[in-house]
Amino acid sequence: MWKKKLATMVSLVTVFSVVLAGCGGSKDEGSSASGSDKKEKPYQLVWYQIGDPQKDTDKVVEKINEYTKEKINATVDLKMIGFGDYSKKMQVITASGEPYDIAFTSSWANDYLQNVAKGAFVAIDDLLDSKGQGIVKALDPKFIEGAKVDGKIYGIPTNKEVATQRVFRFNKQLVEKDGLDISNVNSLESLEPILKTFKEKEGYAPLWGDKNTSPYLAYDFITEKLPMAVPFNSTDYKVVNFLDQPDTMKTFETLHKYYKAGYLPADIATSTNSDYQKNGKWLVDMADSQPYADLTWSRSMGYDVESKPAGDAIATNTSVLGSMMAISSTSENPEKAMEFLNLLNTDPYLRNLVDMGIEGTHYKKNADGTVTDLPASKDYDMPSFALGNEFILNLYDNDPKDKWEQFKKFNTDANSSPLLGFHFDPSKVQTEMAALKNVSDEYMPALMTGTVDPKDYIAKADQKFKAAGLDTVMAEVQKQVDEWRAAQKK
Amino acid sequence: MKGFANMLKNISRNKWFLLMVLPATIWFLLFSYLPMVGTIIAFKSYRYSRDGFWASLFHSDWVGFKNFKFLFATQDAYIITRNTLLYNLAFIILGLICSVAMAVVLSEIVNKKLAKVYQTGMFLPHFLSWVIIGYFAFAFLSEDKGVLNQILTGVGLHPISWYSDKTYWPVILIVMNVWKELGYTSVMYLAAIVGIDRSYYEAAMIDGASKWQQFKSITLPSIQPLIITLTLLNVGRIFYSDFGLFFQLPRDSGALYAVTNTIDTYVYRGLTATGEIGMSTAAGLYQSLVGFILVMAANLIVRKIDKDSALF
Repeated sequence: MWKKKLATMVSLVTVFSVVLAGCGGSKDEGSSASGSDKKEKPYQLVWYQIGDPQKDTDKVVEKINEYTKEKINATVDLKMIGFGDYSKKMQVITASGEPYDIAFTSSWANDYLQNVAKGAFVAIDDLLDSKGQGIVKALDPKFIEGAKVDGKIYGIPTNKEVATQRVFRFNKQLVEKDGLDISNVNSLESLEPILKTFKEKEGYAPLWGDKNTSPYLAYDFITEKLPMAVPFNSTDYKVVNFLDQPDTMKTFETLHKYYKAGYLPADIATSTNSDYQKNGKWLVDMADSQPYADLTWSRSMGYDVESKPAGDAIATNTSVLGSMMAISSTSENPEKAMEFLNLLNTDPYLRNLVDMGIEGTHYKKNADGTVTDLPASKDYDMPSFALGNEFILNLYDNDPKDKWEQFKKFNTDANSSPLLGFHFDPSKVQTEMAALKNVSDEYMPALMTGTVDPKDYIAKADQKFKAAGLDTVMAEVQKQVDEWRAAQKK
Repeated sequence: MKGFANMLKNISRNKWFLLMVLPATIWFLLFSYLPMVGTIIAFKSYRYSRDGFWASLFHSDWVGFKNFKFLFATQDAYIITRNTLLYNLAFIILGLICSVAMAVVLSEIVNKKLAKVYQTGMFLPHFLSWVIIGYFAFAFLSEDKGVLNQILTGVGLHPISWYSDKTYWPVILIVMNVWKELGYTSVMYLAAIVGIDRSYYEAAMIDGASKWQQFKSITLPSIQPLIITLTLLNVGRIFYSDFGLFFQLPRDSGALYAVTNTIDTYVYRGLTATGEIGMSTAAGLYQSLVGFILVMAANLIVRKIDKDSALF
């Protein structure tokens, strides 16, 4: 009886897998057939893009296809996935091996490095040479350098600001109301008199943030919030535990002093909302800046904001990998995908169409070449930074005329982190990485927000990190950094 | 051949019953048995292949038990196992006592309309997600605007940093979980109690039995099989923790990890750093395996004591 049951089970499983394999097989045949006679039939590119689905996407895609069919004999199937879901859905799509051509990837959504390590993207060095020269010309070389993994490039960075700069952001209404002088702000320490006056006058905390807030530390982190980093000014490329460094200690102590004085909200280490920006009851917070960021911030918050630099503008791996497009290893026709991406990054008509929608429907062109949104633009509101080369976008009527020139200048002026282009491959130390992440989530928010006294807390955190295998991981990182340096001849 | 003929006969005799279980059988095959093939991933270093899932599965390298290592590698291993087990034990025991008590109370309410109102009211939290309950709790526990701290300062006491002081959290977590699931489980017990023949109670009352005696000698023995079944099912999930409860309710506050970190939250945090699905599969397999062994063992014990109450 038992054996019979087993036999039934086995045959059932076999039948199922045959059926499934059948499904997969037939799909493959279908698409390769369409690939072989592509001369007559335009190739359809499946393109996954981050951003909330828009009402008018179909209308715009129709226009895009009219244009791309003529230019490169391809059409696109643009699939938008909302910001909150994108990483998770892309993980399922990639893990299941679903065929697609182009996908948005970055350091913060649909993780570029993890996907590269798992073989989800194709290396595009040759394709860039043959079909993507326009992209190479448009991009700042720092982008290409930062996107390389083991000497090969797997994604096309969006041409935008290459560096990030930590700034203190001030709520201008309150600065003026209390007559505060912010002209000398250049560091956390220099904030003290301003915070003191504000607290006395208004009675509530001036310096705001949430549990993910961190002060400016002059280090390039190997992995976000794990205590392994190389100082920005490093010449010997030695990976250090930044928690043990005197300058970090000084920053944490200052923060804790501020926290004890009531300059920070009491629950900052556990808070996850940024409602303070809505109700306007904040004086200063910390943010990452780009040229004309004050304008953008003021526009989105509805009141004036002014920022002061807290550190230098610097191009790090994270800032360079902020927005990219990759070609999937499941793509039937990577050449077409590259042709399309090249067109998207160099052709102002296509780029603006994808970004702003149809002229006359979603926006109108003014006499001086700038554009103004029409009411229908709310039906096609795309995340501009995630779509490709920003420098060929139309300027809005209230944008500064030299916006993109300023971006280019910002990019050429920005320093590069010593580790730009180095990407840690954690595959040998996965066990330790999982444990370290848990320790980091436990200790970092309290430290980074000044909620705890760093003197004994850092010792406790260090001990826990060491127990979770920090030394092993750090040795592995150092080994990889040294190998990378040798290969780069730095 | 004879066996086959017998089987056919069997099938045709029971065809209506078999037809009735068919949808569930298909569901189980598709969603429970078929994915079991995927547990192979637990022993592999999963890498994508351009030819789809099956190709990826076959081409990934075998790594033996390496994926399981992270569950036991650090000093946190003890904490997460302890938290998962102890909380689940508390949920099972307290949940059982409270829901049986509540079912008895509800069955004793004379006004049936009111009883329905209470029942519905208690059922409601079961449908709320932990994210929403997490925000309700935050309204009470928030450091500067929370109701509890307002009361504390109102009567002249020091406010408490609820989200950074771990002493209160074992109680908060247990109370919230029992509160959320009470309505759901007590309805099941209530259904069993309502089904008990009233004449037992009448006879007991004539003999002068008190309410407690009636409960002990009539109600409890009658619902005993249900209690055992539900408890056995819960024991099978003792290595799983309710992710929402342990992650959303404490707002993922680092200072509370010592009492809120369970196997599921640990795995989640670890894997957001590495994205290695082999490791999460390993964790799931480990939890299922331990749960399976525990159910078998518990069932064996039950069968030794009372053969009829055992699940199988």
